[in-house]
Amino acid sequence: MTANKAQTLLFSLLLMIFTITRSIASGDSPATLHAVADRPMAPEFALADIDGVIHRLSDYRGQVVIVNFWATWCPPCREEMPSMQRAWEQIQDEAMVILAIDVGEDADTIFTFTADYPVEFPLLLDLDSRVIQEWPVRGLPTTFIVDPQGRIAYRAIGTRDWEDPALLDTLRKLHNGQVETPPATSNELPD
Amino acid sequence: MINSSHAKKQRTQYHRIAVPLLSLLCGLIPAASVGNPVNQGTVPETGLHFWEWRGQGALFRLTQRLPDQTRAFFMARGFGSKDADFLARNCVFQTLFENTDAAGGATLEYDLDAWTVHAQGTAQGLLTRERWSDIWEARGLSQAARIAFEWSLLPTRQRYQPADYNWGMTSFGLEPGSRFDLDFSYQRAGTRHNGRFEGVECPPDVHPEPQDDRK
Repeated sequence: MTANKAQTLLFSLLLMIFTITRSIASGDSPATLHAVADRPMAPEFALADIDGVIHRLSDYRGQVVIVNFWATWCPPCREEMPSMQRAWEQIQDEAMVILAIDVGEDADTIFTFTADYPVEFPLLLDLDSRVIQEWPVRGLPTTFIVDPQGRIAYRAIGTRDWEDPALLDTLRKLHNGQVETPPATSNELPD
Repeated sequence: MINSSHAKKQRTQYHRIAVPLLSLLCGLIPAASVGNPVNQGTVPETGLHFWEWRGQGALFRLTQRLPDQTRAFFMARGFGSKDADFLARNCVFQTLFENTDAAGGATLEYDLDAWTVHAQGTAQGLLTRERWSDIWEARGLSQAARIAFEWSLLPTRQRYQPADYNWGMTSFGLEPGSRFDLDFSYQRAGTRHNGRFEGVECPPDVHPEPQDDRK
């Protein structure tokens, strides 16, 4: 092996170790959606938004639906709203929709919230928490991706960067029927 | 002889590059990833104390909440003053639990019912959603307030995929200013991990008075 080849190999090896080490040390994680095993049917709901318009999940059959459970008092829920809005601006013309379901708060509370966090996608009111109790949610925020057939395809607990190109690409593939089999990281939903 | 001299020159070049780079690399690995997973500190903005576990795939952090913070939070969500005060005096912490693995990593699970609080020579469990539900039932708390309360608490049991996390409150059933040790555990890829926070302090019930600037 020549000196140049040895040096190149050494540099490559060190660069690889450096990259892996920094990734682990910083705790960085890519925006991750977790495929749900067997894709159970999403529980149906009919909820009013802050303008009183009723939204049924089944009205959106044929589209990819991002169903986000949140509340105004929940810091990470507030944190991800701007990124959801920016994602919405990119996907609203692509047969994809975001429905953000507030748990237990009234329209006045949410209306006040939107003064600081303006969003254009529907904010629905689950006033008596009946809907969230039918979904496999244990903490806020939790978000589900419902496929065009009305099945839960992905889940995320905690915030995500919703405008991340890789994440949006996943949603587009789901809409185009390019993601049929959940990958190996699939998980079962909690009871 | 010529070959031997050439090889020696190559080794010298190799060491000139490798040694500084390896030193740089080692210096960039943070102490937290190789040392004690338990940290304790103070939030600069508030002066409140936190206890943190960062290691073996998990980040778990308890941050003090002043009783007045808890009273104000829940009185804005349908609690009467007596119920808000009762809750606030039960040692409430803001809590974060996160699976810190990168994509493709292990699943992580915890169960608050398996954790133990040691204080004043006794051992007890946390006040979970289920235990509080019985208390609120007995005290006749309104449904709206109970909904807000239930979703404000850290889930009693949770399973996290990589990058999943929750924020929520935890309650330890002790008087303001009490000290306790917490034994906690979680499962990661089928292996149980145990940790302990020692000398955790329930936030004191302080009521700062306005300062008289005329003096």
